[in-house]
Amino acid sequence: MTEHTVKSYGEELAHLTAEVTRMGGLAEAQVADSIEAIARRDGPLAQAVVGGDERLDALQADIERKAFRLIALRQPMAMDLRHAVAALKISMSLERCGDMAKNIAKRALILTEADPMTALTRSIERMGRLVQGRLKDVLDAYTTSDLQRAIGVWSRDEEVDEHYNSIFRELLTYMMADPRTINACAHLLFVAKNLERIGDHATNIAEIIHFELTGEELVSQRPKLDAIAQ
Amino acid sequence: MPPAQTPPDAPDHRVASAFWPVLIGPGAILGLAVVGMAQPAPALVAAVVSGAAALALSRPRRRARVPSPIPGAVPAVAAESGPPFVAILDRLPDPLMVIAAEEADDLTGRRFLFANAAARDLFKIQRQGALLVTAVRNPRVLEAVDEALFGNVEGVVEFETGGAQGRSWLAHARPLKDAPGRSRLALLALRDETDARRSERTRADFLANASHELRTPLASLSGFIETLRGHAKDDPGARDKFLGIMLAQAERMSRLIDDLMSLSRIELNEHIAPLGRVDMAMAAIDVIDALAPQAREKGVTFDPVLPPRGGAVVDGDRDQIIQVIQNLVDNAIKYTPEHGVIRVEIFPGLSAEAAAAARDPAASRLSLLTPDHDAGERYAVLRVTDRGPGLAREHLPRLTERFYRVEGQKSGERSGTGLGLAIVKHIMNRHRGGLTVESVQGEGATFGVYLPMAKVGAEPAPAPPPAAPAEA
Repeated sequence: MTEHTVKSYGEELAHLTAEVTRMGGLAEAQVADSIEAIARRDGPLAQAVVGGDERLDALQADIERKAFRLIALRQPMAMDLRHAVAALKISMSLERCGDMAKNIAKRALILTEADPMTALTRSIERMGRLVQGRLKDVLDAYTTSDLQRAIGVWSRDEEVDEHYNSIFRELLTYMMADPRTINACAHLLFVAKNLERIGDHATNIAEIIHFELTGEELVSQRPKLDAIAQ
Repeated sequence: MPPAQTPPDAPDHRVASAFWPVLIGPGAILGLAVVGMAQPAPALVAAVVSGAAALALSRPRRRARVPSPIPGAVPAVAAESGPPFVAILDRLPDPLMVIAAEEADDLTGRRFLFANAAARDLFKIQRQGALLVTAVRNPRVLEAVDEALFGNVEGVVEFETGGAQGRSWLAHARPLKDAPGRSRLALLALRDETDARRSERTRADFLANASHELRTPLASLSGFIETLRGHAKDDPGARDKFLGIMLAQAERMSRLIDDLMSLSRIELNEHIAPLGRVDMAMAAIDVIDALAPQAREKGVTFDPVLPPRGGAVVDGDRDQIIQVIQNLVDNAIKYTPEHGVIRVEIFPGLSAEAAAAARDPAASRLSLLTPDHDAGERYAVLRVTDRGPGLAREHLPRLTERFYRVEGQKSGERSGTGLGLAIVKHIMNRHRGGLTVESVQGEGATFGVYLPMAKVGAEPAPAPPPAAPAEA
């Protein structure tokens, strides 16, 4: 058999999907570890998350290069074009998720030095699990090309917002009651905000998948809750 | 994604079947013939000597057109000696996968050569030759597999599979003897560590909760004992009053312990699907009968809207379903004012979306638990509506938290333990069901639970066709 195989077009596309999926797995793990670092006050784990972000960035750059190359050389049409563009866009979203995980981990490092606030970190952990679940669902939808699953993630966006609002109030109450907690609470507030943003990225990825599979935009008619007005 | 993936062609199957000798043990068994898995045509593919046979999989990535050459292949017969191993491996309870790859930098080259039934079920692997990365994304596992494939290093990593009933696994990645050519093989074996992890965590939670929540009633008990030994010693009026309070506190402590124990038990089994069938309507009637005295005492009545017997049969554990309904109805009794009416409704045969849908668009509404998506599933919904003070929106996401209490709300003399809804949520999760809450402040609240309906014919059960959904 000839060893220098010229990769077929189809293989190149499949390769792109595989890369994005792998990147998704890494982003998932980064998010999970950053939440774990907050919940268990685990400094070394937080440090590892901060260090691990580089790999995610490198993967994103690699996917971007490959997607551009494929578009330039193969000039894909219709489904194939949407496929390549989706890989590009999803990888960008995932990279942002990674950045936010890194930010959460940095705050976890600071929080390990403060007094433990178990009740609050529990709420954060609960919200984190929810966001993690959404990320997992949307990536599962991507790897299996499952349109219904993607739409499911998209339409359940409000749950995360509700949690965010509830944590927001809880933190305010704490800060008002005891100003010494303001420092830690402010960090937790940003952690919650970051988690909410990761949830938004999951929704965004669901929209990209929808467009990739159908060629049509998901029309935004979700019951949107205004986080600040509440 | 669809256009790019290799179609499941015949050679895929041959690759899969020719692989057995390698798995069984390098050089151990010569001349095995293995049954092709699904294809009738190459049903009895004569696979070959362990080493040579492995060649067949040297380029599993190849498309169907080029049949893989097997140099020096010696057709062997002995058809009987092969298949048992297939069956044995397939039926092992632990997920077991064999992964083949060629080049380290080619992600699409890592494919499943074999995945037993447990692995196929866990990772939803559709067919032989599926990409590794589409099933397993965890970077730690992927790294361990890579090390086994290309570094010849054995590795053990812990990881978790998410979803509503998350599980903890210990993944062992081991290199397998290299096949000739450039193909490399690794074995990925998983062991379920969920039980150990859960009991560890549940024990810690139990201790933390119990010590914290029991402290208050205990402090009040010892306070009263001190008073009774001191200046209230000779005051019969005060003594009776204090003893009454002490009894109430002791009862509260015992309820709390009961609830904590039952929550721990449920959590431990949360990842194990329940066996058995339950008729929701019958269960609801039982609960209403049992709680009738309590309702009469408070002056509230029930308004049940239930399907006929057998109309809403679900897969479930009867005791737990009763507990769910009881906790919900019990809450409703607590919060409904005198002469109020509690509505208990059951609607069978709804889709997940319809089951979780809002009834009143003006109400604040939230899903407290959503089952993993399954398009074909039909659900039976139970809704309990009270006419109490209702709940403000900001409390909704936290209702299932342990010991969460809505400030300013009194649940009456028989105060709750703060665990009722947490128990409901964990039971529903074990049953792959969902939990919703809907409320208009000042007008009352509706709690809805929905459970997958029992499949007709899966078990000889009296299950007439489900009644038409009474509500969209």
